Amino acid sequence: MRGPPGRHPEEPKEQLPAVEGIITDASELEPGDRVVYPNQGVCEVVGVQELEIAGVKHPMVRVRREEDGSTVMVAVNKIPAVGLRRVASKDQIEGVFHYLAAQFDDPELDWKVRHRDNADRLMAGGVLGVAEVVKGLHSLSRIRPLPTKEREQYDNARHLLVHEVAVSLAVPPGLAEDYIDYALMPPAGVKFDLKPPPRPVQLPSRPRRRPIAAQGEGDEIGLDDLGLPELSELGLAGEEKSEGETEGAEEKPAEGQEAGAEEEEAAPAPRAKKAGEPKAKPREAKKQPGAKGKAARHAGRPPKKKEKKPAARKAARPARKRGKK
Amino acid sequence: MIRIVALDKLDPGDVAFLTRTLYQAFGLGTEFAGDRPMPREAETRDGRVDAMRLLAEVQPVRTFADDKVLYITSAPLALKPGPLGEPPCWGFAEYGGEKAVITTARLPARGVSEASIEVFRRRLGREAIHAVGHLWDLHHCYDAKCAMHPSWSPALPADPEMDLDTFCREKSERRIRLAKT
Repeated sequence: MRGPPGRHPEEPKEQLPAVEGIITDASELEPGDRVVYPNQGVCEVVGVQELEIAGVKHPMVRVRREEDGSTVMVAVNKIPAVGLRRVASKDQIEGVFHYLAAQFDDPELDWKVRHRDNADRLMAGGVLGVAEVVKGLHSLSRIRPLPTKEREQYDNARHLLVHEVAVSLAVPPGLAEDYIDYALMPPAGVKFDLKPPPRPVQLPSRPRRRPIAAQGEGDEIGLDDLGLPELSELGLAGEEKSEGETEGAEEKPAEGQEAGAEEEEAAPAPRAKKAGEPKAKPREAKKQPGAKGKAARHAGRPPKKKEKKPAARKAARPARKRGKK
Repeated sequence: MIRIVALDKLDPGDVAFLTRTLYQAFGLGTEFAGDRPMPREAETRDGRVDAMRLLAEVQPVRTFADDKVLYITSAPLALKPGPLGEPPCWGFAEYGGEKAVITTARLPARGVSEASIEVFRRRLGREAIHAVGHLWDLHHCYDAKCAMHPSWSPALPADPEMDLDTFCREKSERRIRLAKT
């Protein structure tokens, strides 16, 4: 009855052994019963009532959270799927304490796997699943501080465990927490006579990740069919390509390319270039007409226009004339 | 408002230190609300005091909504044994409730020197923050530097910090903000 919902309707739902005390039929519930709603905590059954939704009457079980008194309505036919269960028995709680006090094997270090598994445990693992989350994250916190998300998850799990233990043992939550931490962090010199801990919660198997398609990804999604121009035509070629080709230009010091590259470098400071460089190199560039455009394309920019230069010269000429005068 | 009530004689300097510490930790006004007698019903046969019974039987203090009362006693406290035995009791608080009690019996000896008094006060302040933290819905924290770390933990240093860690501080601030009347 337990397990995550199928990804597709036709996919069969994974069958896992049911958690002890899980409620499969609404007829088991009576007003005043105390049940545990996964991830919400201990609730009290108020009763069954019919609720009209979109003109259809649905029988709903009304439960009230003991912590804050908020009401939760569960459709009768959804009770097995929700994972509503009875409050853990004293034997179960004893097993939980023996588990908490036992030595813990290595915690899961992959945070994605850990976070997902812990969420599954909190949802469908029963009281032992909650204890596993608390112990697992507590063990991990000894290695390194928990990230914010997991710190919250740890606090939530601890909250759920404290309240369920408190209800099950009929003690105040403050005392239940002391019991839990006495098992988790025993004082120096204290050793417990532990029984073998209960079997760990069985988690649903997850599909493995698909390998990332490295080549031909664009072909698969049909980018070619869209009739888009190539990136190089748009002048949006990647930096890697331009770098690779400029490296090639360094290896082959062709005069035209070198000139083009120099002109590109010289563009931000034309005055300095004018002072130091003779006019021969631009002429060489003109001799190879494709060279300059190619170099510019390699740099990922369209070739520069020389429209501003005459204007600047025009502006400079009267000054020279004035100077001559 | 946090109200401190002494069940035994308490040094005025310690009370002043405690009120200052609690104010700094929670940002709430803290005052000394006087003395109350120790309830006889809470005493156990082994000479200790049942912490839960004490909170149930102690004379009430006049409070308003969201007020927290912290009782301080020098008698050793006892708790009901759990599945793995009785946890050592440095104090007991009604989780999310109104009343808490701490004992000075397990604290380092107060002594007469300035250094020993300082150590005693710091530990008293830590236990007070811990107990009031429970009243503001804080759980135990795994960080040994946080005041909400269990008092008996072997990871706790000899002179533990009196501060809450970031997570606990933010959580308590959130609770206080929501609870303010």
